[in-house]
Amino acid sequence: MTISPDGLIFQQWGWFSLNATIVYTWLVMALLTLISWLVTRRMSTGTELPAWQNLLEVLVTGIRDQIRQVSQQNPGRYLPFVGSLFLYIAMANLLNIVPGYMAPTGSLSTTTALAICVFIAVPIYGIAYQGPVNYLKHYVKPTWLMLPFNIIGEISRTIALAVRLYGNIMSGTVIVAILISLTPYFFPVVMALLGLLTGMIQAYIFAVLAMVYIASATSLHSGESDDEQQSSLTDTPEKDNRTSPNTD
Amino acid sequence: MQIDWITVSAQIVNFLILVWLLKRFLYHPVMRAMEQREQRIADRLNKAEAREQQASEQQQQYQHKTEELERKRDEMLIKAREQAEQGKRQLLDEARAIVAETRKQWQQQAAQEKADFFNRLKQETAEAIQAIARKALKDLADAGLEEQLIEKFIEQLKVADKDLQQTLHHNTGPLRIHTAYELDSTVRARLTRFMHEHFSADIQVEYSTTPELLCGILLVSGDRQLGWNLNEYLDDLSERMDEAFSSVRPSAKQED
Repeated sequence: MTISPDGLIFQQWGWFSLNATIVYTWLVMALLTLISWLVTRRMSTGTELPAWQNLLEVLVTGIRDQIRQVSQQNPGRYLPFVGSLFLYIAMANLLNIVPGYMAPTGSLSTTTALAICVFIAVPIYGIAYQGPVNYLKHYVKPTWLMLPFNIIGEISRTIALAVRLYGNIMSGTVIVAILISLTPYFFPVVMALLGLLTGMIQAYIFAVLAMVYIASATSLHSGESDDEQQSSLTDTPEKDNRTSPNTD
Repeated sequence: MQIDWITVSAQIVNFLILVWLLKRFLYHPVMRAMEQREQRIADRLNKAEAREQQASEQQQQYQHKTEELERKRDEMLIKAREQAEQGKRQLLDEARAIVAETRKQWQQQAAQEKADFFNRLKQETAEAIQAIARKALKDLADAGLEEQLIEKFIEQLKVADKDLQQTLHHNTGPLRIHTAYELDSTVRARLTRFMHEHFSADIQVEYSTTPELLCGILLVSGDRQLGWNLNEYLDDLSERMDEAFSSVRPSAKQED
């Protein structure tokens, strides 16, 4: 029984093996792009909307509102990254209902890749908003003693991000596989439905946590900086509460 | 639980490509469409607001105009009413003046007619009374009555004024005596004798009959004459009647 889609190799070219993770990721990417292109090639700017365009607008607006709610900032700059995280994970998990499909998010390689993306995006956004000195300063706050702990926290939350998504999706796949071998009818369907729900929730959690990390990097120390406008836009205590727990 | 680092790197690349693709095909078009729609709605709202403002301004203008018109109409009505009132008063005054003039003319005419009537009445009455008196005297009068008249005449001559007596004294021409009836010789002789005795002995007395005297006697000497007859009474009657009518006329006028 293949637990990870990494193990299902379609083609091998020397050191590069074309496994199911990459192939199904391409499938998800193709689907998302195709749907987007089909809907957005004839956009209506009037008050009469096609149903599909309306759906996409609701989706994008919903993501924007969530980002704004979490970050208390203008969502424009975060939307492509955070929105893509959510849409990719959600679509990858949603396709689990298709027989023969294996969610790429059930591979630790994929979730690690996404977590690394977040791990890199956080300092990029932080430096872009605050400058390198201001951003790096927050690793030594409140004292120099906290520097190793801050670094450990940074790495550990990235690992937690990767493992959380991987564990949830992989466990769902594994449970369904085990149940199929034990009771082929009814129960696997229920578990698959549950897996869909879990997949959606994990997509939301992953995206929101990514946003929280980025928001903490872009606004955590703004209260100490001289930028009055930025300080007025942010709510530091709330950020502290949100960033501290690494919850599942 | 293995991490295939080649797959990880491939997935990182895949995800970055996905981010670009979605940005290119999803977020950007959708956001642009929504912004354009918002812009259009905002434009429409602005236009509607501008139009509403314009409409309200126009409404205000029309209201002002209506008020102006109403004010003008009221003014014109008041003016017209005043003019009509003035015209009415003028017409009434004119009518009153015409009526007064007409009445005055009518009153004058009536007064004239009345006066004419009274004059005619007076004249006719006098004539009638005279005619009656003349007829009565004519019927009654005779020589005897005349003799009495002559006696009376003689009495008068006796008391006549000095002037007349002087005239008679110095009279050289004939003295003519007119009577209505022919006097008989005794009466004539008496008269002649009286004349001779009183005035002048050589006075010549002539007698003649004049029926117009009715009953009486008239003495003519040169350009002077002295007489006594009933005509004088009748003239007196006429004068009195005139006076009586004159006193009646004002009271008749007051009745108008």
